[in-house]
Amino acid sequence: MEERLYDLIFICRPATPEEDITKIVATLEHSAVEHGGKVEKTEKWGTRRLAYRVSKHREGFFVYMVLRSAQSDIIKELERRLKVSDAVIKYQTVRLDEDLKRQQKLVKHRERRASRRPRKPSATPAPQPQQQVPPPAEQPAVS
Amino acid sequence: MADEPIKASAETPAATPAPSAPRSEGTHSGGAHRSEGHSGGGAPRREGGYGGGGGGQRREGGGPGGPGGGGPGGPRRGGKRQYFRKKKVCRFCVERVDFIDYKKVEMLQPFVQERGKILPRRMTGTCSRHQRWLGEAIKRARNIALLPFATEL
Repeated sequence: MEERLYDLIFICRPATPEEDITKIVATLEHSAVEHGGKVEKTEKWGTRRLAYRVSKHREGFFVYMVLRSAQSDIIKELERRLKVSDAVIKYQTVRLDEDLKRQQKLVKHRERRASRRPRKPSATPAPQPQQQVPPPAEQPAVS
Repeated sequence: MADEPIKASAETPAATPAPSAPRSEGTHSGGAHRSEGHSGGGAPRREGGYGGGGGGQRREGGGPGGPGGGGPGGPRRGGKRQYFRKKKVCRFCVERVDFIDYKKVEMLQPFVQERGKILPRRMTGTCSRHQRWLGEAIKRARNIALLPFATEL
């Protein structure tokens, strides 16, 4: 199966000590590797204001992870772990590889077009002035 | 075959207002009242942020009648319309955005109302493709409490 890219964000209670968060991250990374996945990036965004109340909290500690895996079981397992842990109040996993593929396609498409376009304008402007200059000279001669 | 008579009938009512316009000019008081009523109905809509092209064209059609009935109302409307006609360009197309990241809240915020509503395309000028991506990104951001569903106080 093709490898998939996931974004995983989870929010911990603001009162959670830093060590507990690192512990959660470590267990997640460990279980991700166990299930044949790979953690590409882990970012701690720190305490941020939540846009709305989540289990009576107005703030939360955000942790952002990027995962790569060929098996979807990994998400099931990680989400189960997040669900179980008390410190985590919210989590979200988003599959991103399809969006990125689309993005790459568009970039490629644009590059191809860009590589075509400059040649044409650069080729056309050069002859155009030459063509344009003679007609005015001819017209007065005719009239 | 059946369409033709309908079309003809549809055209005739549209044509009748034009002949009626001179009449309203003759009776000054009646014409002025009518034009005031029109402007009263149109102005709040525009204030509400309605920038549809169709609406503008309709008002333009009413424009020629306006100067006859109410002189001051006509020019004002025309002036406003010019501002609202400003061509909106998709911001994402200009910046060549291929992927709208739901994590960049600052990027999404201009496209969300204070209460958390997604702004319609007619307000922001976003192209259909980018509006689709934008909606998806905003919904993702909402899910993870980066953006509000609705601000509660």
